[in-house]
Amino acid sequence: MNKIQARLTNCFLAVFPELTIDQVVSASSTNVRNWDSVAGVTLLAVVEEEFGILLDNSSVSGLNSFQDFLNYLTRTTSTDLYAAAGGY
Amino acid sequence: MKLLEALNTVKSMHSRGGPTLPCALVTGFTPLHLKTFLTAELVRRIPGRSIEIAEGLYGDLAGNMRRLPEAKFEFAVVVVEWCDLDPRLGIRSGARWSKDELSDIVATAKQHAAQFLHAVGNAAPLPLSVCMPTLPLLPLAHTPGWQKSAFEVDLHGVIQSLASSLAGLPHVRLLSAQQLDLQSPPSERFDLQADLRTGFPYLIPYASTLANLLASLALRSTPKKGLITDLDGTFWNGILGEDGVGGISWDLEHHSQIHAFYQRFLGSLAGAGVLLAVASKNDPALVEEAFARADLAVAPSAFFPVEAHWNAKSESIARILEAWNIAADAVVFVDDSPLELAEVEAAHPGIECVQFPSGDDLAIYGLIARLRDRFGKNTVTEEDGLRLASIRRTRTRDVAAESATDTNFLDQTEAEVSFTFEREPLDPRVLELVNKTNQFNLNGARHTEASWRALLSNPGAFLMVSSYRDKFGPLGRIAVLAGTLCGTRLSVSTWVMSCRAFSRHIEHRCLAELLARFRPEEVRFSYQQTERNGPLRDFLSRLLGSPPAPECNASRSLLDAFLETVLHTPEMIDE
Repeated sequence: MNKIQARLTNCFLAVFPELTIDQVVSASSTNVRNWDSVAGVTLLAVVEEEFGILLDNSSVSGLNSFQDFLNYLTRTTSTDLYAAAGGY
Repeated sequence: MKLLEALNTVKSMHSRGGPTLPCALVTGFTPLHLKTFLTAELVRRIPGRSIEIAEGLYGDLAGNMRRLPEAKFEFAVVVVEWCDLDPRLGIRSGARWSKDELSDIVATAKQHAAQFLHAVGNAAPLPLSVCMPTLPLLPLAHTPGWQKSAFEVDLHGVIQSLASSLAGLPHVRLLSAQQLDLQSPPSERFDLQADLRTGFPYLIPYASTLANLLASLALRSTPKKGLITDLDGTFWNGILGEDGVGGISWDLEHHSQIHAFYQRFLGSLAGAGVLLAVASKNDPALVEEAFARADLAVAPSAFFPVEAHWNAKSESIARILEAWNIAADAVVFVDDSPLELAEVEAAHPGIECVQFPSGDDLAIYGLIARLRDRFGKNTVTEEDGLRLASIRRTRTRDVAAESATDTNFLDQTEAEVSFTFEREPLDPRVLELVNKTNQFNLNGARHTEASWRALLSNPGAFLMVSSYRDKFGPLGRIAVLAGTLCGTRLSVSTWVMSCRAFSRHIEHRCLAELLARFRPEEVRFSYQQTERNGPLRDFLSRLLGSPPAPECNASRSLLDAFLETVLHTPEMIDE
């Protein structure tokens, strides 16, 4: 498990305490019963705070599972690192 | 606190369990993360309880307030925002925005403020912690942002008037807007995106700050009882022994005005019933001379005892604690020397030692603000004004008692013990005694206003409050007994007595009064040993003839025989 995945897992476990670490990887709004609108908003806020990012409306609509978040964060974080290294 | 940390704190509470503490968070907006932060802050302050926060309906602050009395909460936290006064003051409103609308908004705000005030009044006696609007107003008026519009002035007037009315209600505490401004600038509060998306208007860091202050407001920590201050470099600027009485200063001319501010602060503490004493390595005659200076910003009589000599400060602290008859952990010791603080801390575990940052005016100001928090209390009672005088008299009395036998001495004190049995209105002094007394305390149980009222509303419940005065002066209300009468059995669940009332046989007189009033055949004591209730344990041991067990009983004949051996006949007054 890489660093991003570990931090994201902590976010999911805090918002969905009923999940085990193994279940988190496959968690999505369709298979987690408590993933309602309030939990969804809380998850977004926790992820924003944990990774120091601000999710815009268009990104938010596509984040419906752990894998969606992970893909988004991996993409965003590598872009940021590239930018920080003077890539743009 | 970060949101992730708050969620994990709440999670740990759920896995740990504990007795439920039901409370309400009343808002007109979606409470969302504020609720999470508030739960976490309450868990931190009361780790043994399982916090259950109920919330109301979106957009209906007044309705949520009106519904509060329908449920049994221990307290409620109420957060008002502008859109609760008129939805047009919120970003989510679709209403038109014109100059003519503004006066109508002010009129509606007045009307909603009046309804809210009415609902708050009806929620009594439920303790309410209220936060008035904290977000910036939307740019609705026609004036540029740097100019205050009449509309803005009028709206703030509505809030000011509402806050003024709320501040006069005994069950309401208002959150300090100044403290909030200091901790979170207004420009860092509003989360436009979150408000539009979810109806939650606060940025996460602001929600955390607000929850922290609201939790402190709702669950006040027990204030400290006494402050012991050093003199040189603390109470005044300079070294008395070297600079002389005329060389020490606390004024603008000598750039030492901040010490006058400290002195004024101590004076205000004394006025609120906080005990003050001096522990200084100094020549006592010089200290006496310095205390005679007319420009002192606090009356020298506010300090008792004054320990000025060259022995270790820990010895001074020991004598002061003995004179006050309170535990070290109820006391703050202020000194500019880290060495002295360390010596006192080692000798008196539990005492809060605070370094006076001499020479740094800003740090001193900050220290005084923090000390204010440590000693802050909701109300100042009559007993607060009597406390120091009573301790002085006790010392006088102790000296006099040394030359007489205990029995003879008590006979000579012209003691008057009086009793009241009224349960309403709730007396803040009674709850203060229950929650602050450690030594003569039946079981150490503490109560919120709500749990105290619940106890007194039990079938057969009684409350007895005892006051005392003698020829040395009044002690005020000094003992509280509460419990229930069921048939011929009297069950005592609360019994506390101020340590200032020890050695006067008041505990015996309390029992005698209970027997005379309720005529029970048996008295049951809900005793629990605590770390500090040795005096109560000793008393029950003498009564029962052996150390008390939890839920111990004493028969009428045993009680009569015990009281007969001890009691004299002071004047007893039923009020």
